[in-house]
Amino acid sequence: MADMVNILIDGKPLQVEKGTLVIEAARRIGVMIPHFCYHPKLKPDANCRMCLVEVEKMPKLQTSCSTVVAEGMAVRTNTPLVEEAHKSVLEFILANHPLDCPICDQGGRCDLQDFSHQYTPTASEFTDVKRVFQKEYFSPLIEKEMNRCVTCLRCVRYCDEVMDVKALASINRGTMSEISHFGAHPLDCEFCGGCVQICPVGAFVNRLSLYEFRPWMMKRADTTCGYCGDGCTLTLQTRDQQVIEVMSAQGDGRNNGDLCARGYFGFQFVNHPERLTTPLVRQADGRLHPATWDEVLPLLAERLTRLKLAHGAGAIGGLISARCTNEDLYVFQKFMRLAIGSPHLDSSARYGHVNAVRALRRVQGTNRWTVSYEDIVQADALLLIGTQVTATNPIVGLKVKEAVKKRGAKLLTIETLLPSVETTSNIANLSDVHLMVPPGRHGAAVQGLVKAVFDESLVEPGLSQSAGDFVERTRAAAMALPYPDGLDERTLRTIVKTFATARRGVILIGQDLLQTPGGLEATVNLLDLLLLTGKLTQEGWGLAPLTEENNEQGAIEMGASAEYLPGPAEVAEGATRARLAAAWKEDIPSAKGMRLLEMIEAARTGSLKALLIVGENPVRSLPASTKVAEALEHLDLLVVQELFLTETARLADVVLPASSYAEKNGTFTNSEGAVQRVRQGLEPIGDSRPDWEILSALSVSMGYPLEYGDTKEILNEIRAVLPGYRILGVSVEPARVDTQTMTRYLAGGFAEDLAVRYKATPDGTAGGSLKGYPWTLLIGQSLFHSGALSTKAQGLLEIQKEGRLVMNPADAHRLGLSEGDCARLTSATGEATVPVAMLGRVPEGTLFFPDSFREALAPILSVTPDPMTGVPYGKLCRVAVTKKVGGS
Amino acid sequence: MPKYELILLKNMAQAGYTGSLADYERASGYQALRKALGTIAPAELTEMVKKSGLRGRGGAGFPTGVKWSFIPKDHPGPRYLVCNADESEPGTFKDRQLMERDPHQMIEGMILAAYAIGVRTAYIYIRGEFVLGAKILERALAEAYGAGYLGANILGKGFALDIYLHRGAGAYICGEETALLESLEGKRGLPRVKPPFPATHGLFQKPTVVNNVETLANLPHIVNRGPEWFASTGNPPKSTATRVFCLSGHVKRPGNYEVPMGITFREMIYEIAGGMRGEKPLKAFIPGGASAAFFTPQHLDVKMDFESVARAGSMLGSGGVTIMEEGTCMVWAAENLLHFFNHESCGKCTPCREGSAWLLQILRRIEHGKGKMEDLDTLARLCPNIAGRTVCAFGDAEIAPILSTLQYFREEYEAHINEQRCPFRAQPAPELITVGH
Amino acid sequence: MLAEKHKDKIAGIIARYAEKRGALLPLLWLAQEEHGHISEEAMREIAGLLDLTPPQVYETVTFYTMYNRRPVGKHHIQVCRSLMCALVGTETLLGWLKTKLGITTGQTTPDGFFTLSQVECLASCGTGPMMQINDDYYEGLTQEKVNRILDDLRRDGKCALATGPFMWPEPQSAKR
Ligand SMILES: Cc1cc2nc3c(=O)[nH]c(=O)nc-3n(C[C@H](O)[C@H](O)[C@H](O)COP(=O)(O)O)c2cc1C
Ligand code: SF4
Ligand code: FES
Repeated sequence: MADMVNILIDGKPLQVEKGTLVIEAARRIGVMIPHFCYHPKLKPDANCRMCLVEVEKMPKLQTSCSTVVAEGMAVRTNTPLVEEAHKSVLEFILANHPLDCPICDQGGRCDLQDFSHQYTPTASEFTDVKRVFQKEYFSPLIEKEMNRCVTCLRCVRYCDEVMDVKALASINRGTMSEISHFGAHPLDCEFCGGCVQICPVGAFVNRLSLYEFRPWMMKRADTTCGYCGDGCTLTLQTRDQQVIEVMSAQGDGRNNGDLCARGYFGFQFVNHPERLTTPLVRQADGRLHPATWDEVLPLLAERLTRLKLAHGAGAIGGLISARCTNEDLYVFQKFMRLAIGSPHLDSSARYGHVNAVRALRRVQGTNRWTVSYEDIVQADALLLIGTQVTATNPIVGLKVKEAVKKRGAKLLTIETLLPSVETTSNIANLSDVHLMVPPGRHGAAVQGLVKAVFDESLVEPGLSQSAGDFVERTRAAAMALPYPDGLDERTLRTIVKTFATARRGVILIGQDLLQTPGGLEATVNLLDLLLLTGKLTQEGWGLAPLTEENNEQGAIEMGASAEYLPGPAEVAEGATRARLAAAWKEDIPSAKGMRLLEMIEAARTGSLKALLIVGENPVRSLPASTKVAEALEHLDLLVVQELFLTETARLADVVLPASSYAEKNGTFTNSEGAVQRVRQGLEPIGDSRPDWEILSALSVSMGYPLEYGDTKEILNEIRAVLPGYRILGVSVEPARVDTQTMTRYLAGGFAEDLAVRYKATPDGTAGGSLKGYPWTLLIGQSLFHSGALSTKAQGLLEIQKEGRLVMNPADAHRLGLSEGDCARLTSATGEATVPVAMLGRVPEGTLFFPDSFREALAPILSVTPDPMTGVPYGKLCRVAVTKKVGGS
Repeated sequence: MPKYELILLKNMAQAGYTGSLADYERASGYQALRKALGTIAPAELTEMVKKSGLRGRGGAGFPTGVKWSFIPKDHPGPRYLVCNADESEPGTFKDRQLMERDPHQMIEGMILAAYAIGVRTAYIYIRGEFVLGAKILERALAEAYGAGYLGANILGKGFALDIYLHRGAGAYICGEETALLESLEGKRGLPRVKPPFPATHGLFQKPTVVNNVETLANLPHIVNRGPEWFASTGNPPKSTATRVFCLSGHVKRPGNYEVPMGITFREMIYEIAGGMRGEKPLKAFIPGGASAAFFTPQHLDVKMDFESVARAGSMLGSGGVTIMEEGTCMVWAAENLLHFFNHESCGKCTPCREGSAWLLQILRRIEHGKGKMEDLDTLARLCPNIAGRTVCAFGDAEIAPILSTLQYFREEYEAHINEQRCPFRAQPAPELITVGH
Repeated sequence: MLAEKHKDKIAGIIARYAEKRGALLPLLWLAQEEHGHISEEAMREIAGLLDLTPPQVYETVTFYTMYNRRPVGKHHIQVCRSLMCALVGTETLLGWLKTKLGITTGQTTPDGFFTLSQVECLASCGTGPMMQINDDYYEGLTQEKVNRILDDLRRDGKCALATGPFMWPEPQSAKR
């Protein structure tokens, strides 16, 4: 093998790939060379000098972390000289190191402690005065103790090389080198916690758990993060029913040990004092009063049964959060369909991911990606459209950064972003070609890309023979369109050309595309692009829609929506329905079910009498103009299963306390389709119970028992109806394009809506009807929050405590606004006042507001449902802005 | 008249020579460039420099032509030449003179080097303190552009070169070539781990040659007078031609002296520099800048060339020769230099960052009468744990003054410890500068 | 703001480097020439000009000793303390300066005229003791010279004793 070299380590022969570092080669045969500055994620810096080894024929000791193996190299890691060198580096470090191990949070998991122990240094000969760095406040979340620092710079390098954030500075020099941010300013960054995790000693520690523990006192549970669809493996560290700390330092999992602020610092909602601990029932006085499960379950069962008898099962609807586990979701839909017998159910995947799944199913016959995270890392061209990846899917963002920064992939971005360097990363700064699109214009950009496929003659030659009709009619449709107004033709063409001529490429799409009008069509058009260029079925290529919530993929695959049964399989398809009915030994309602907005509407009009809401909060998620609260008040029965008394729960007749993901077992399915374990770290808080258990108990009370002993039983049943729903640990097996479906699409399926998909979309920004509302407001994900749950996590509130209207500094200047001033927003539906912030990456003319604080804007927002998928498009809004003067 | 023929200092020794372009041209300046652009192919020029035996004058003494030949031949994209004008090795002040008094000599050298290695963009990295030098060079560069020696089409021969001046800002380590490149890139001056070497991954990761001011200033003479002539002067074959030595300390006539390599230190100190100031006996001298091990009178007959000095246990380094008379405290001298090294350590490597402070603290204690005998063992033990264990040669440099003074003047250290005071200096330095800065 | 005042100059400097960050040291010099020290505001502005984060600028600034992070006196006296000068009188020189100025190292005279610092070798080891005051070198110092330099600077803002193009020993012909 040409790419292998033979080396000897401590006399043991081994073969490793060319380019391997000696320290890595040694580890393969179990030889651990002590080190501080080396880290497999970082470029070798060889600064700590701890990893010295002898290499035959080299006069000096060599740093094994930076020395690349060479044929015939003979390395010795355990000679007296090497030992002496290791000891000596420790001696140098310990000379100035404080002896505060007893109060150091790193105690017990500290590399310096471990190596010192290993080399049992004799009493130090250092008798002079130790260097002292004055303690300074660093940040609300991260404690800095520079006297413990070994200056390996792993934190600074991680912050730059992996995160592309560059918020940490290695300042001063020589003996007085230390880590800082900017002057005396507290740290302002992405707060990924990476510096804390990668610090080999206790120089950076988590303030949320400062002095709270000794590592060996904690219980650990490896579980999966409940915030976004990236599906990070994390370890909950608990003690006495409290989550003390979260980390992902094991380095396995789809996130490879990396986390974002939400994952790392966002755990405190679990032990929040306002968690619901008992069921609540609305009494005659109109107030909610605590009750026991034994009281509430029969009561609820009786009321549901009565309503069903009086109005039919179709008068009862259900809505569940896509943050629930697969087991919760599965039991929920079964409860709705069988125990209640209603076809009306939906999940929060309705807000966008249904568009993605519908498009994938239609063109390539899969419910999932045909690629995995590994394919992103290995791609040599990545096309990102409307992803806001760093904020929405930070770990996928890291995969993109890795591909670009470490492997030199070409990055093509079509985003509502301007390149602008700040101490949070901005994917547009890494782009080879970046096209700034105004909000809502992503679909138009995609049409432009398809047109450019033809203009650049990038159609796969074979396709014209095998699917001539598809090629020609798509050509005609796309070419009939002009390049979209305001989007540069040359840039679009360069993007397509760069992408289509790569060796492997992945298209990532996100919420700015999926959750805005035309999202469904644009997704299908992107699949057209892959088909036309002949890439769709090629290894390593594919379209990857990202999910905002942790288990949107699972919600659809578990069948928690009106149109899909588990699989997902279409409810409308008799054969699949029959197969499932056989498995469940029960008939499945075949009527067309109502989806989210339709159920709200039915509640208003009175045809829906009862609604069971699990973990969703439509009163907050949907704008005031949808009058959700009013509609819900019409119901005869509103039941809400929740962690907190949310706006929606406050309206309920019965509120049931649910357990958070930290208190339950189960599985989540991430964006790429990895099914991952959720493991219980705590006993349920108070009397709360996992959602599936509540539903199961309720079904028993109703006399339609859906009984499960534990989540394993549920998972087994899921596997029985969904063969292949396996736990996929560290690797993922991507789906394959279903040739039959694709052929059907090429043969004519495409034509159904060709005209709609390639209809010119006018540039809304210039539209006349929008007179008086010259700004586009974009509601989107903040990096520091996810939904409303994160606003109960104190750590995250420390970083971002309120929603601010983010605008370009030039715009702010023009409006006479400065940071922290209040702006008054007016839309066609109402008016709201919010504080402003400035950020260079927000394009002029666009305003950004974080979704997690959207209630502040409820009066001005509105939604339009997708005619096909019922997605309530509510991210965009035309507004006028003025500075609010006086008052508060 | 000086005893030896001046090469590099020749022009400036002339009455009224201002270093202007006109003066330089009058002294046959830029003839070498004309000759090279007209008749010598780049590869041939590299061969000539190899043949001349020219070795780097920045400190390491690496053969210049050989260094050039490491530049990959057909590397696409830019490559760079950097003139190292950071001159900050204590005891060295020759580059300052070469630049300020005869800037065009160095610039012509740079153009020749750039031509040989196919460079179109070159930088002069000058230490920040040399404000006057920077002004003089800016003016000289402007003159050279004006006369067509620099720019898009040099002398109409189709060769293009831009030279930019880049000022450092106070960091000795930026004289180390990879730290210098980092600094040119706008970063902290931390030396890089090698390999890869600058020849393949230099400035902005592109092939780069770094040469010292004096090295470059030699090039016009090699072209004008031929490599054979050059190779026959000095102390061939290994130490050809002259060097400008910088004499400082207790001699009558300190200053820069250009002599052929191979004369003895005795001749240099007692004849050329006029002997000891105040006629006190010589106690010790540093032969090649602060990074070189101390010598004693027993080394006076060592020849001033690369090999001889190395054989005698020190190095010719940057050419800074510092003379110390009887009565100079060696512990004090070592402490002073360690203060320098501790102040200038970039802080990248553990042994250097922590070790330089520790060593300084021990030396300071000994000098101030607070030493213990065990300290001497600690010094002797720590030094080899720094040398050869660091990224750059600074680690080797910082221990040289300690180990050599310990070797030759151990009894002086012991006297400090036994008497609990400095035997030489009535009052120890009034101010203690704490470790760090 | 630097950018308004030196627009073309800044563009010219940036154009010299294949990567923008290369222009960092020159732009910091520009800022220091403008304000006498480098303020946070200047660091932020330069970061913006070079697509860097403020911490990236900050870490570079703090590495180099010549960038003043705080305002210094009108004349910044920097005495070489390294061995070669020390052999020939650094301590004596410092003594004169302290007496004359009434301050010690690290301090600024109450009138803001002089700041006194010690620095490492300035490459005039053959002409010690010496000091650099702002841009100028003053070498081979005696008490008389020091007095004159300080007086001249206080009075005229400049002093003719500053070293010109350096050569030592001076060429025979130039000797008076
Ligand atoms: C700590 C250290 C400081 C150095 N300082 C300088 C310097 O000030 N000037 C210089 O020309 N070379 C200096 N060098 C040597 C350079 O690294 C490099 O070898 C030299 O510039 C190459 O040029 P040359 O081959 O022409 O000598 C230094 C080396 C080290 C390790
Ligand atoms: S040896 Fe010292 S100066 Fe050189 S890289 Fe290491 S720490 Fe920096
Ligand atoms: S030692 Fe003072 S200038 Fe060199």
